[in-house]
Amino acid sequence: MTTSTTILSPANVKAVSVADNVLEPVLNPPPTIEINSVTVSFKTPKGVYTAVKDISLSVNKGEIIALIGHSGCGKSTLMGTISGMVKPSAGEVKANGNVVTKPGPDRGVVFQNYSLLPWLSVYRNIYEAVDAAIKDKSAAEKKELVEKNLKMVHLWEHKDKLPGHLSGGMKQRVAIARAFAISPSILLLDEPFGALDALTKGTMHIELLKLWNLDNREKTIVMVTHDIEEAIFLSDRVVVMNNGPAATIKEIVDVPLPRPRNKKDIVHDETYIRIHDKLLSLLIDKFSIDDIKE
Amino acid sequence: MKNIFSLKSLWSTLYFFGGLALMGGIWELISGVTKNEIPNPRMTWEVVKEVMQNPMQNDPDTKGIGVKLLSSLARVGIGFGLGSLVAIPIGMLMGASKIVMNIINPMVQILRPVSPLAWFPLGLAIFQDSPQASVFMIFICSLWPTLINTAFGVANIPQDHKNVGKAFGFSNRKYITKIVVPYTLPHILTGLRLSVGVAWMVIVAGEMLSGGIGLGYFVWEEGFNGGSIAKILVAIIIIGIVGLLLDKIFMGLQKRFTYAI
Repeated sequence: MTTSTTILSPANVKAVSVADNVLEPVLNPPPTIEINSVTVSFKTPKGVYTAVKDISLSVNKGEIIALIGHSGCGKSTLMGTISGMVKPSAGEVKANGNVVTKPGPDRGVVFQNYSLLPWLSVYRNIYEAVDAAIKDKSAAEKKELVEKNLKMVHLWEHKDKLPGHLSGGMKQRVAIARAFAISPSILLLDEPFGALDALTKGTMHIELLKLWNLDNREKTIVMVTHDIEEAIFLSDRVVVMNNGPAATIKEIVDVPLPRPRNKKDIVHDETYIRIHDKLLSLLIDKFSIDDIKE
Repeated sequence: MKNIFSLKSLWSTLYFFGGLALMGGIWELISGVTKNEIPNPRMTWEVVKEVMQNPMQNDPDTKGIGVKLLSSLARVGIGFGLGSLVAIPIGMLMGASKIVMNIINPMVQILRPVSPLAWFPLGLAIFQDSPQASVFMIFICSLWPTLINTAFGVANIPQDHKNVGKAFGFSNRKYITKIVVPYTLPHILTGLRLSVGVAWMVIVAGEMLSGGIGLGYFVWEEGFNGGSIAKILVAIIIIGIVGLLLDKIFMGLQKRFTYAI
């Protein structure tokens, strides 16, 4: 006997609502990241500077989102509110249902300049992060995590090197392994590939997607970038931001390209070209030939 | 120690001896002009041999040059060591806190330009003992470069490094041992290098004032008062070489603890 065929006696109504309460989160899971009318202002010697204003955005589990916009438009600031490194002046950010007040092990961050500690070996760089972020594991388990993640990015044989002896791409892989090693459900990438050459960048995109696949595409990824191709290739939605100060979301562009995506073929895809053109016009509508001639 | 016999090291050795020869030539010239009032290198070499005959002699009334050197080094070691022990923690506090910086910095700025010798009579008044007064003087003059460099290092920890600590929730202990200290160490060592240089310069002057056993007293008593200019020259050479070695030690440490990003 199913609930739908029963007569709705008061007792049964109660049963239905209980079932709804159980099923609801499964069928419509709450977004992994909820940004609710967030404003961030900084006090500067020249007065209050508002970086981002009244931004709302939600990101679902397993989604890859790219934040794109001009330099200084507050992308990184918005990202900072998710990681907990930047406090919103108004509004709130929820990650996995909890209001973000400080950085936590459920959110892994990859910084723009890798941010490895130059005096620690590749291995120690990851170990110290794991040791600090994860409180409820033994030293042996932590070591296992470090080993697993270093092998995943193919850097195990370089584990004793100092970051200064690695190439840019390798450093970035260490930074990514470090972020993955604390097993976060949310991965925040702040212009992660900005300093890499085009070829290395391409390889890193594929490596990142591989890691995401290995994890059954369960990790939610938010990435800041100013590279249109990168944004389309990697993400499910591209969030285009207005220029600051007081930046807002200009438009959110869906990227309905099927996965796995192939770097070579995708550029000839009609949808890809359409999205690319759209993003381009959203980002550089100010410029015309006249401006260039002058 | 690789390629010690390479062409490059051969050339730098040649330059080194070339420089020595030039210096010797000028020295010889000055001796000639002053009619050996300033003894020439050969005469000085005789005195070097005489002085070096029994360097570790340690009788109550005759002390070898080695004993004098060690006694000067010990005073520098104690004064410089104590000074560093005080300067490093205070420098760290100054770098970490704007308030501490604002309280201590004016004092440092006023006291730092004071000639270390001005502290000697004060030390004498406090300790009533001249060797202790020279240690006190070394202590004071060792403070400033270390203090300032340590504070600078801590205050300039890059945001990138701080972000790592924040993002992964480093405890205070981990933050200090894995980020603050390793980043600041080369700055501290720069400070120590400058401090030990000043200390070594000042000890000679201090010992001239304080007497007792030491290179400074050797210059004054046996050299000037004893009428042996050659002994003054020998002392200058020894002081110079030891100063250079001290500098090299700290420079080596500084290199060892500086990391490419």
